[in-house]
Amino acid sequence: MNRKRAILVAVLSTAALSLLAGCGNAKKEANNTDKANADTVKIAVAGPMTGDNSEYGIGFANAAEMKAEEWNEKGGVLGKQIEIVKYDDKNTSEEATTIAQKIVSDGTAAGVIGHFSSGVCMTAAPIYQENKMIEISPSASHPDYTKIGDYIFRNNTVIEKEATASVDLAVNDMGKKNIGIISIMTDWGTNTSQVVKDIVQNLGDPDVKVVAHEEVMEGSDDYTPAITKLNEAGADVVICCGMYNLVAPVAKQYKAINPDIAIVAFSNAYSQQLIELGGDAVEGVCFPVIFFSESDDPIVKDYIENYTEKYGSAPSALTSQAYDSVGILLTAIEESGTTDHEAVRDKLREVEYPGVCGVTKFDENGEIDKEFVKVTIKDGKFEKMAE
Amino acid sequence: MLIQQVFNGLALGMGYALIAVGYSLVFGILRLVNFSHGSIYAFGAEMAMVFIGFRFGIIPGIIAAMILTGVLGICIDKVALEPLRKKKSMPIASLITTIGISNIVTQLLIVFLGSEKRNFPALFDFGSVQIGHIAVSSTQIMMCVVSLILMTVLVLIVYKTKIGLAMRAGEQNSRAACMMGINVNFVISFTFFLAGVSATIAGVLVGSYYQIVYPNMGYMAGLKAFAAAVLGGIGSLPGALLGGLIVGVSESMAATFLGSTYRDSIAFIILIIVLIVRPHGLFGRKGITKV
Repeated sequence: MNRKRAILVAVLSTAALSLLAGCGNAKKEANNTDKANADTVKIAVAGPMTGDNSEYGIGFANAAEMKAEEWNEKGGVLGKQIEIVKYDDKNTSEEATTIAQKIVSDGTAAGVIGHFSSGVCMTAAPIYQENKMIEISPSASHPDYTKIGDYIFRNNTVIEKEATASVDLAVNDMGKKNIGIISIMTDWGTNTSQVVKDIVQNLGDPDVKVVAHEEVMEGSDDYTPAITKLNEAGADVVICCGMYNLVAPVAKQYKAINPDIAIVAFSNAYSQQLIELGGDAVEGVCFPVIFFSESDDPIVKDYIENYTEKYGSAPSALTSQAYDSVGILLTAIEESGTTDHEAVRDKLREVEYPGVCGVTKFDENGEIDKEFVKVTIKDGKFEKMAE
Repeated sequence: MLIQQVFNGLALGMGYALIAVGYSLVFGILRLVNFSHGSIYAFGAEMAMVFIGFRFGIIPGIIAAMILTGVLGICIDKVALEPLRKKKSMPIASLITTIGISNIVTQLLIVFLGSEKRNFPALFDFGSVQIGHIAVSSTQIMMCVVSLILMTVLVLIVYKTKIGLAMRAGEQNSRAACMMGINVNFVISFTFFLAGVSATIAGVLVGSYYQIVYPNMGYMAGLKAFAAAVLGGIGSLPGALLGGLIVGVSESMAATFLGSTYRDSIAFIILIIVLIVRPHGLFGRKGITKV
């Protein structure tokens, strides 16, 4: 009896297994033929399209659509039109996981541009990696993000490099010695503040020190308690680890207490909205960027003009990085002559792409290395700092 | 530093108090916690920003926003809450409805205006007054002054006018009030209007204090103001004021001595302690059924 049952189970399970395997194969083939026959090349754009931070996701989508239109006018890629498919992850990890699974199970996308914040990118990336889907984030700067795998790229500098540039701005360009740090409580903010502390410690200059570090909740508008503490600690420069919606209120509230305070920020605060929101208070705020909107380069000028005409506002640094990311992906697809993910991935490491953020080239880890431009705000405009 | 932080907290607390008043007004008459009040507050602030942007003057802009927000309050009641009352649904149904409305209002604001933080003009920018080591900004002073005036006006309306009498009558027994010839539905609409107007004033003051408005500004502020209203005894206007101030100052203190990470929880910690020690809040009357 027992033996019979065992045999039955064994037979059934083999049958089930082979069925499953058969299904898998059939599905794969269907996908492949789909891909070959589809009349469009699809690129997925994932980011927060609604809710908090939606301006970033919408910026990604706008930039991607603009780039796709430019290519489509020239005849598309591989003789096919390019289609941008938008996904709204609301900048939450839960949504991002669902979206990542949707994208990989659909399988038609040539690649994914996006996910906005580092934490969200890092929950979605393993899914892409496992299913050999290319992901290029225009914004993630957490050091661990590209370590997830060889299909994971970022068109943004890793935070160590950017933080080094920010500290350099504060210490060498401004000549300040007592550094205060104010950071938002997210994966990115906590990590960035730690990175800044380490860099300051490794400078080897005993006069330069971090006098205080305050963590604040993202989105609370009242930063006066943290600012009062930084001010009591004698900070003469504040490094703001946060987006424009942190930098603008901090600048306002800090300058109400101490008008002489110097403020250094990061490239994710580089946005026209910083000036609109901050007004006079953000005058003199400095940051290192890899995209500079007031550049004399005709490519950049055209791009800014077209974007502003189309969407009614000037593109931010991250939007421009998304714009270039789409360009790189399309170039890699064209040069490899296929949308096969593996071939495109290999090509992505070879392409040297001249875009609005200078020449972009991924290294073997999917990282980019760029020269920073030091930018400050003067008379309500971004301006290159004097060397 | 301590006194400076107390002053920062007082200004913050005045903002909470103004929102808390809205909770108390509606609770006072309907025995309903109107969780959509936080988003009404954000709506008022956003509308004020939009109308001020039209350049027909700051004061007319704010008044237009107050009226529009008041009308939104009436609409919420007429569209979603009155039908529930007519069907004699359970109180919990109305409560859940207000939470739903809160989401709808916020999301609509995001759809039409975007989720980004926008600049709000500083209305009372006359510099700051230096008292010893403490810098008190003119905005902080004006926030306190306007809040106190508004609070006085509201207390006068509720306790000294005919409509206030009708409101209190409706609270005690709406059927009996109806039999005495009071149009209870009108009174309820009026209450929602008043709550919308006070929410707009709160939104304008807080918006001009931080010079920032955005659709989600009502979420945390609304919850904390609710804590403030319960703390002071929900339904009581002086209670809302005191509750708001306690929440504001303790938040400021928590941020100073425990770190900014604790500031959002402190309001609720105090709320729980007060409710254990004094279940009906500081100024609340006994026998109030809470939701």
